Amino acid sequence: MNRSNPAPSRQRAPGDDGGAVIQVEGLVKSFGSFRALDGLDLTVTPGEVHGFLGPNGAGKSTTIRVLLGLLKPNAGRVRLLGGDPWRDVVSLHRRLAYVPGDVTLWPGMTGGEAIDLLGNLRGGLNETRRQDLIDRFELDPTKRGRQYSKGNRQKVALVAALASDVELLILDEPTSGLDPLMEAIFQEEIATVKTQGRSVLLSSHILSEAEALADRISIIRAGRVVETGTLDQLRHRTRTTIRATLDNPPATLDSLRFVHDARLQDRTFTGTVETSQLSAAMAELSQHTITALTVAPPSLEELFLRQYGTDTTVEAARRTTGGAA
Amino acid sequence: MNQTLVGARPLLRAALKQDARTIAPWIVLITALSASSVLAYAWVFPDTHSRAQLAATLGVNPALSLIFGPARDLLTADGFNAWRAGALGGFFSALMAIFIVVRNSRADEDSGQAELLASGVMGRQTRLAVAMLMAVLASIVLGLASWLVTVAFGGGWMNSLALSATFTAAGLMFTGVAGISAQLGSDARTANSIAVATLGVAFVVRGYIDASQSAAWVVWLTPLGWLEEVRPATGNNGWPLLLACALTAVLAAVALALHARRDFGLGMVAPRRGPARGTTVASVWGLALRINRGPLISWLVAFAGLGTVFGFLATSVGDVFASNPTMGGLIAGGATTQTGLLFEFLITILRLVGIIAAVFGVQIVMRIYAEEIDYRVEPLLAAALSRARYLASNAVIAFAAPALGLLVAGTIIGLIAHTGEPDLPVTDVIGQAAATIPAVWAIIALALAAVGANPRTRLAGWLAVIATFALTILGPLFRLWNWILGISPLWHVPNVTTTSPDFSGLTAVAGVTLALTAIAFAGFRHRDVI
Repeated sequence: MNRSNPAPSRQRAPGDDGGAVIQVEGLVKSFGSFRALDGLDLTVTPGEVHGFLGPNGAGKSTTIRVLLGLLKPNAGRVRLLGGDPWRDVVSLHRRLAYVPGDVTLWPGMTGGEAIDLLGNLRGGLNETRRQDLIDRFELDPTKRGRQYSKGNRQKVALVAALASDVELLILDEPTSGLDPLMEAIFQEEIATVKTQGRSVLLSSHILSEAEALADRISIIRAGRVVETGTLDQLRHRTRTTIRATLDNPPATLDSLRFVHDARLQDRTFTGTVETSQLSAAMAELSQHTITALTVAPPSLEELFLRQYGTDTTVEAARRTTGGAA
Repeated sequence: MNQTLVGARPLLRAALKQDARTIAPWIVLITALSASSVLAYAWVFPDTHSRAQLAATLGVNPALSLIFGPARDLLTADGFNAWRAGALGGFFSALMAIFIVVRNSRADEDSGQAELLASGVMGRQTRLAVAMLMAVLASIVLGLASWLVTVAFGGGWMNSLALSATFTAAGLMFTGVAGISAQLGSDARTANSIAVATLGVAFVVRGYIDASQSAAWVVWLTPLGWLEEVRPATGNNGWPLLLACALTAVLAAVALALHARRDFGLGMVAPRRGPARGTTVASVWGLALRINRGPLISWLVAFAGLGTVFGFLATSVGDVFASNPTMGGLIAGGATTQTGLLFEFLITILRLVGIIAAVFGVQIVMRIYAEEIDYRVEPLLAAALSRARYLASNAVIAFAAPALGLLVAGTIIGLIAHTGEPDLPVTDVIGQAAATIPAVWAIIALALAAVGANPRTRLAGWLAVIATFALTILGPLFRLWNWILGISPLWHVPNVTTTSPDFSGLTAVAGVTLALTAIAFAGFRHRDVI
């Protein structure tokens, strides 16, 4: 799987944003005295699936609602598909589809009716795709809003969004409540969307989902994007975990200058290394006769926890992920 | 404690804490209704002459009997209070009880809160029992507050007690009604509609009986008639209150029995499957119609019913006028005609219908905000739908439906009244109903401006309805100045049968309506949407 190549197809949405589908700079949004977004920057290029990750309350949904023109930014520059999301609501929304994380349907209206309503408001649905998606997601379109379970409500919104031929999909935790089978179908559908050269902003809590789908990732914390890049780039910026069995363990760990968080139990050594210093660290370790070695690149989970976990939670997470490696 | 009521005590405590702020305004307003009449009576009608004049004019006006019931004694403050606050206080007390019961039983099931509660250590009947108990407590507190405050303002001990007890009794009976309606309807909105419709029918039947001066036994047909037979200040009969308590017990028992037989979250009628394709709701206009379909149908039926009742009432008030010495004198003196008096009566009736239509319109407007806080507007506005078009789809219904209701009621009143009074053209009544529409729109536009521009102020919509009601129906009793009465848009509706009706005031009202609507649209364009 080649994640380092975002492969932006630049023939779409030409504008003054260097062709970016979403271009946000210094976005600020406050609710009373609470600053929900505090100078947020975000760029989504055409044809890419952009993972938008962050803990609860970090500002993911607020950002999306600004992009949808539902909230008015207090400061900053926001461009969406070459337009202003607050001013050009109707023309921009013809070109995008949205799936909220918590879908509420009209109580007396069937799922099929809701799909058609949302589709018609956007300017029509692709009929074959609509039927195909209803079959694939095993959705009963004749039930009424109140009768659907959470996962089935989510399917209604997913079918309505995926059945439209739009340039940009904005998905806010789209798979919350879906079972693993449906989650797999969702991932296949997004992969299809990607091959069609369409763009996706995918806000998610499910890291494996973002890891599987996203070309690039932005991690948001307390209203700011703290990390952005391809998964490889993010990995490069953080440390690799090393586990080794040493036949000739050192008396003291202080001699290992390039290894951090070093720990030695009997002959089993664990530690983390900056990616740029991997060779140097291996040279140091090899002096102690390595008989077994695993080098694990940081998982997205580790990246994620490192960015916004407290020290103790990171430590706890490292112990669990280290133990699993 | 019975096994089926486990957990009632902590739930009651928590629910009362949650709901106290919502209940308090009802108690304050109904208490004020009673206390204010005692206070104002001495001030507005200082001498026997003015009191006798009140009794001879407004006291025999059938349009007012319709709302307030028969005026048995307007020569004392307590008698005046029993007339002015009796039927209305009972009506509002019943509304309070309905809303408390439904809010604390059915609405919690809709939102999912009740699921958390029901999964805890809690008896099967606890939630409904607590909801009804809350309404009972609120009714009793209301009665006590109204009694003590009215006495403090100069009311008689026994007379005020009898009056306040009727408020409590009305609250109790409709606690039972709401308990049952919460089992029948499959959601809170339906449950409220069923209970409020029952109250409305009971009130209109009582009003019809009083205004048409039917035989004395007929008044026993409606529970609200029983309360009238308590005759505060003119008899103070306690025993009809026992009848009310018995009815409450029966209704509550039925409600609990139904509750024990029904599945959580469902009504008595299981939902059917619906269409797989969106045909009727394929656009935002269709959606607005669909969302409001239930209320539209029931309200239009209600307006047809009101029109029928008021129409028949109009055919019988002729006799009431003829038997009344004051009005008979006016007719004999050539100051007016029987038809003229009847039309004045119909103008008041149409104003009342106008206020009811405003309630309808404001309800539709409030639904716009309810949809927004349920996150159902977000996915619509995320599609290629402008905010103006979304608001317009709802605003058109909010303006058109009450106007249609008013015309339906007006036409039916006109047709029926014409059979009893051939000199009264049907078109005059329809014309008067049409002239009332712009005034109703002004109230709806105020609610729309609040919801559109700043939903935190949306209560202004309901306050406008209450203020209009108070100024139009209660204001004249207090002989208020014209500039105060003129705050009510309905005051500016002219009599269309005069030779040159003055439409200047109504034109100004229409201007205000346009301005408020413009504020609604401009504000909705510029505010954050939830």
